[in-house]
Amino acid sequence: MTNKTEGRFPDPHEFEVPAELKGWEDMYPSHQLFSGDREEWEKNQFWFQDKIHAPEAIPPLDHIFQEAWQISLSQYTTRVFCIPPAQGIAQRMVGCYLYIAAIAPPPDEVQGAKAERFGARVFPVFQNYDELWEKWLVKFKALGKEMDELKIPTELPEFISEEEVLPAPKGYYVSYDIIEGFDRLVNMMFKGWQYHFEMLNLSYLAYLMFVDVARGLFPGISESSIGKMVAGANVAMFRPEEELCQLARKAFSQSGVADILKGDGSANEKIEQLESLKDGKDWLEHFNNVKTPWFFVSCGSGWYHHEGSWITNLDIPFGYIKSYLEQLDNGETIERSLDKIEKERDEIVAEYRALIKTDEDKKTFEDTYNNIRSIYRYAEDHLFWVEHWFHTIWYAKVREFGQLLVNCDMLDEVDDIFMFNRYEIPELLTEVSTGWALGVDIPMRSEHYKATVAKRRKILEAAKKWNPQPALGIPPEEVAEPFTVMLWGITTDRVQDWLKGVDAVAGADVSEIKGFASSAGFAEGPAKVLKLLKDIVDVQPGDILVCASTNPSWAPIFTKIKAAVTDIGGLTSHAAIVCREYGIPSVTGTGIATSAIKTGDTIRVDGDTGEVTIVERAA
Amino acid sequence: MKHVIDFKYVDKGSLNLVGGKNASLGEMIKAGIRVPHGFAVTTDAYLNFITATGIIDNIYGALVHMDPEDIKALDQVSEKIRSLIVKTAMPVETQKAIEKGYEALSQEYHDCNIPVAVRSSATAEDLPTASFAGQQDTYLWTIGIAQVMVNVKRCWASLFTSRAISYRIKNDFSHEDVLISVGIQKMVSAKTSGVMFTLDPTNGDLSKIVIEGSWGFGETVVGGYVNPDKFIVDKVTKEINERTISQKHIQCVYDSGKDEVVHIDVDEEMQLERCLIDDEVQELVRIAKIIEDHYGSPQDIEWSIDKDNPFPENLFIVQSRPETVWSQKQSMPILGGKSSYQIMMDRGSKRIKIQ
Repeated sequence: MTNKTEGRFPDPHEFEVPAELKGWEDMYPSHQLFSGDREEWEKNQFWFQDKIHAPEAIPPLDHIFQEAWQISLSQYTTRVFCIPPAQGIAQRMVGCYLYIAAIAPPPDEVQGAKAERFGARVFPVFQNYDELWEKWLVKFKALGKEMDELKIPTELPEFISEEEVLPAPKGYYVSYDIIEGFDRLVNMMFKGWQYHFEMLNLSYLAYLMFVDVARGLFPGISESSIGKMVAGANVAMFRPEEELCQLARKAFSQSGVADILKGDGSANEKIEQLESLKDGKDWLEHFNNVKTPWFFVSCGSGWYHHEGSWITNLDIPFGYIKSYLEQLDNGETIERSLDKIEKERDEIVAEYRALIKTDEDKKTFEDTYNNIRSIYRYAEDHLFWVEHWFHTIWYAKVREFGQLLVNCDMLDEVDDIFMFNRYEIPELLTEVSTGWALGVDIPMRSEHYKATVAKRRKILEAAKKWNPQPALGIPPEEVAEPFTVMLWGITTDRVQDWLKGVDAVAGADVSEIKGFASSAGFAEGPAKVLKLLKDIVDVQPGDILVCASTNPSWAPIFTKIKAAVTDIGGLTSHAAIVCREYGIPSVTGTGIATSAIKTGDTIRVDGDTGEVTIVERAA
Repeated sequence: MKHVIDFKYVDKGSLNLVGGKNASLGEMIKAGIRVPHGFAVTTDAYLNFITATGIIDNIYGALVHMDPEDIKALDQVSEKIRSLIVKTAMPVETQKAIEKGYEALSQEYHDCNIPVAVRSSATAEDLPTASFAGQQDTYLWTIGIAQVMVNVKRCWASLFTSRAISYRIKNDFSHEDVLISVGIQKMVSAKTSGVMFTLDPTNGDLSKIVIEGSWGFGETVVGGYVNPDKFIVDKVTKEINERTISQKHIQCVYDSGKDEVVHIDVDEEMQLERCLIDDEVQELVRIAKIIEDHYGSPQDIEWSIDKDNPFPENLFIVQSRPETVWSQKQSMPILGGKSSYQIMMDRGSKRIKIQ
């Protein structure tokens, strides 16, 4: 392999992606590409692949979320809350994958100016957090509702209706509505992502403050112990699964309903059968009451249109209900005991607190703990509201535009719209409007667009088969940006392990991998390496899940697996939280697990130390 | 007068009667800790021995006007006193009491001559005899009543090593005020032994239990003859944060042919094998927490795992004493009484070194 390392990763400007990916650059905005005019600066940054938000190759329109978070996350750090040494996180695309870099601290005078504002702005947010959170939820729900209510014409009328002309012409028509509608949709997405980071940086900051205090008092305290103290149990992201459990319980007590739900038919067939039953109607009413918003949950991370959501793939929640019913038949418990989890957490906190010798230290511990406990709610809950609920609405709206383009013969399939980025779609819509306005028998560039779709689908397929570098450029000396540490888990050790891993994967065999000890415990068993979301159905009981990162809607499989290992993810990554909740070991942020481990290998996961050992290679 | 007393009946209030080490064993039994059974030969028995036999005057008479710097004279007197104690016959009633105690202990384990550890246990804890007890005054693997008697007298005699004598003079202790008891305790036929601290001795972290262990008797770990395996466990969550497995070349075992405790090489394939499995680590942690809670302060504990009994009945605590290094320090606030605002400002300006 040409990409060898010597204390650094390949230079992004010299790095070459596989030839099959030729043309990938056209899919993304030019500011997202490594470029000669910015070479000096780009060369000196440390770029690592963002497997949290973009574990798979990114289709052009799905790239909008990345653009949106780059602005929003960075501005809160640099210009809103002004964390003194921290700058933003820059993004670049390489061969359909997203790389990010935490920018080095600004000059001292800038840091000084930020420090004054930082103290004055952040502390009040911590103090008024509960009230702010309520307000946040209200405005965010209003934004989602606004997006949901956006009217998108999926057909163009032969003539404008009478009402829009008489008694006075409306003055603007569907040709404008199309263009404005898409702009509004894009703007709402950007606004949602502005809201997304409103308190997230601060919740990570609060977490790191608590880490400082805990480490000061207990120098050897592990990451997973801190995680155990902080993580909440009653979290919106777990709500969809809880609703499923309740639906399963309800069906369990109505045998006719349970029999239908345990059948092999599709969700729609089951719904039809249930409607003919009195208890069935009752069950469906309950189902319909909870599906909005709780089944607006992506089948994956929420970052890809092709993941689908429960609400658009009812077979998935119905499948989970079926397996819950089977577990209930076997006398098993399906719910996580929230009370038990919270009680255990409180006991752990009390025990650590009891170990503190002085009243002053006890007070500092309590203050920072209460701070993180209250603000952490946001870190845990926003995920459902933004990445799942809000994105699900977005995909539905985008598909209405896709339907319009199909109806106008610009595209073959509704989802082909996702093969164009947010700057290109207005071009297609403008041509649709133009063609309609020009009259009848107007030639359109449909073939050009359809050919582009075909080409880009091919590139994305090739990109999926490629295993991109974990990082590019020179590892930095220090990182001040809270997300880099918290969410992506970028630390000295991790970068060094990646360097080793890259060398090892490039050359010899790796048998030991290190990551975050994010959920305690020890397990050995067969590895199931999940490269694509759809392979989730192949996970067998007793498997050890190995994946880039896990997703909340996979919760039901966590009752099957023995342990989880991820490439990316710190202490608050989903895998870490869920594994702690289910009491199974996890090692997160290994950087290379999905490339070093193969399905069928026997692996040993030590969630206490963060070590993963390949005990035996699959034959 | 009680010549002997079962460990079961002593506690921290019995210090004058049985010395610190034995009192601590009784205290642990009270706390429900599994301690190898045994009994103490009381300080009364010792005092009775020197008075009834009349050697008391010879002993204390020889120590009058002793110059603690005169090493040669000190050695001569020490030697004289110790051989006097060893060769003087024990009063019959004391002998009988020890014999009875030893027989009862043997019967308890269905053995006629149970191997025991014979250890001195002084009433003044800051005497060098206490600090050096582990090396000087412990007779491991003592078998048969005759040998027990000899070793009891050797323990008594250890009150008069040159070092102990000079220490008392220098520190203004009256020789007459320091008494000695002897513990006679069932020997653990140890496959693994070691020590554990209820804090991390490297950084004073009170949320950790640090266990060090090696094959055979604990002497190799306590005496620093091997690099032990090391386990660091979180006291609260019970997570094992660190497992360091070292190469353990030698072990300390009983050689029945030579009838003594010897150092031998560890089988090659066992040298890098971990000496404790996780279940054993967790059981040690559970016990360490009970002991620490019982004493209300960080402890330094010696433990052994018997090779014959099934887990967890094979896990024994041999000794526990207060940890002194860190325990004396920590009355100052570690975080300097910072408010969460200050912690926030600190964190807000912090950078994380990556290289």
